Amino acid sequence: MKLRVMNRVDSSENRGLWLLLGLLAMFSLGLFMIPAFVIRPFHHQSERALGLAIAVKRIAPALTVAALVGVLALSVRLWRMSSRVSRTGIVMALVLSVASAVMVRQNYFEWMFHPIAAAGFVSAADAHLGDKEMVMAVRIGRETRAYPIVQMAYHHILNDTVGEVPIAVTY
Amino acid sequence: MWKRTARGRELHFYLAGINNQNFLMRDRETGSWWQQVTGRAIAGELAGSALELMPNDELAFALWKSESSSEHGHGLVLAPVAGHEKDYDKEWEKEVAKYPVPLTFPGQGLQDRDVILGVKLGGQARAFPLAKVRAQSPVEDKIAGVPVALVTGPDGESVRVFRSQWNGMNIELYRDAPSDGHSREWRLLDSQGNTWNFAGCATSGPASGQCLEKINFLKDYWFDWKNYNPQTTVYNH
Repeated sequence: MKLRVMNRVDSSENRGLWLLLGLLAMFSLGLFMIPAFVIRPFHHQSERALGLAIAVKRIAPALTVAALVGVLALSVRLWRMSSRVSRTGIVMALVLSVASAVMVRQNYFEWMFHPIAAAGFVSAADAHLGDKEMVMAVRIGRETRAYPIVQMAYHHILNDTVGEVPIAVTY
Repeated sequence: MWKRTARGRELHFYLAGINNQNFLMRDRETGSWWQQVTGRAIAGELAGSALELMPNDELAFALWKSESSSEHGHGLVLAPVAGHEKDYDKEWEKEVAKYPVPLTFPGQGLQDRDVILGVKLGGQARAFPLAKVRAQSPVEDKIAGVPVALVTGPDGESVRVFRSQWNGMNIELYRDAPSDGHSREWRLLDSQGNTWNFAGCATSGPASGQCLEKINFLKDYWFDWKNYNPQTTVYNH
């Protein structure tokens, strides 16, 4: 009699823990997916949606770690008393939480638009550019620079210093 | 092109997202979010800050070379990044033209992806269709009372915008009539008997040796310009 009551308490408590495990995993995934969905390259971004995406991106690194800690603790707690099928669920929750924590730390835009790690420069005479190729040109003091647009249209951003002035070349 | 300093700090930017096909950047120092086209921080520690515009030109390489060598300066050209030579697509403009637009602004006579030259003066914004500027150069107009001239250079591609005012007087610029088959150096004339080169400096006449004030402009797609300058008018003479 006594034992049966204990079991019932136990299983309803477990149900709560399972629910929490699932919610934490989905929460973690959402922290990655919501901004990724809002900031799709060819779609419209409304001001509100963009504001939400950036707000989520700012807190996601910390929150995905917190969620992962929670998922880990729950997994340890639930693992021993779980069947093989339930353990698959635990593994899935772990995988999702780890993947989200990793992905929110990646700048996948730089996978598509490769940054210039170290810019190299050549003299005008050594540049292999056609006369008609367009360049972005800047002059600061006695220094002049030309940034071929075909290159900037691919890399998009270059941090440079010209005539001791730090500039961001963007295209 | 921007000066990458804000609130006394030097910043390093990287690409971090897209807002209606316009890049978002973040700085490594504070992680703040910036809109590339406006130079404004929209989120993070530096939100509300604005970068200072760095005046620059879009020129054909030959023209840049001739102008920068005559100044005895140290002209340097960004070299292709190793490993990416094949990624530089000379037809990128045609590719971009096929992309869908995230916003549309009909009603002012322009297609969403028409390339315009956007000029902002005295709180007023005006878009000049690039095709029109190329066909009519020099294009003369007034924005917020300031006389401006949009000029395409000798190569037909490079564009500059000048304040068409010298010595306190408004001047009218016009193209030098082509001299029968003789190729003469490219120049503009004005109503005061000056000749002007594409750098905006007088090569002869009473203004000889002086230069017109250059005006910044943005070469942009119509939808993007209109998005950030909702009150813009369109040049349609």
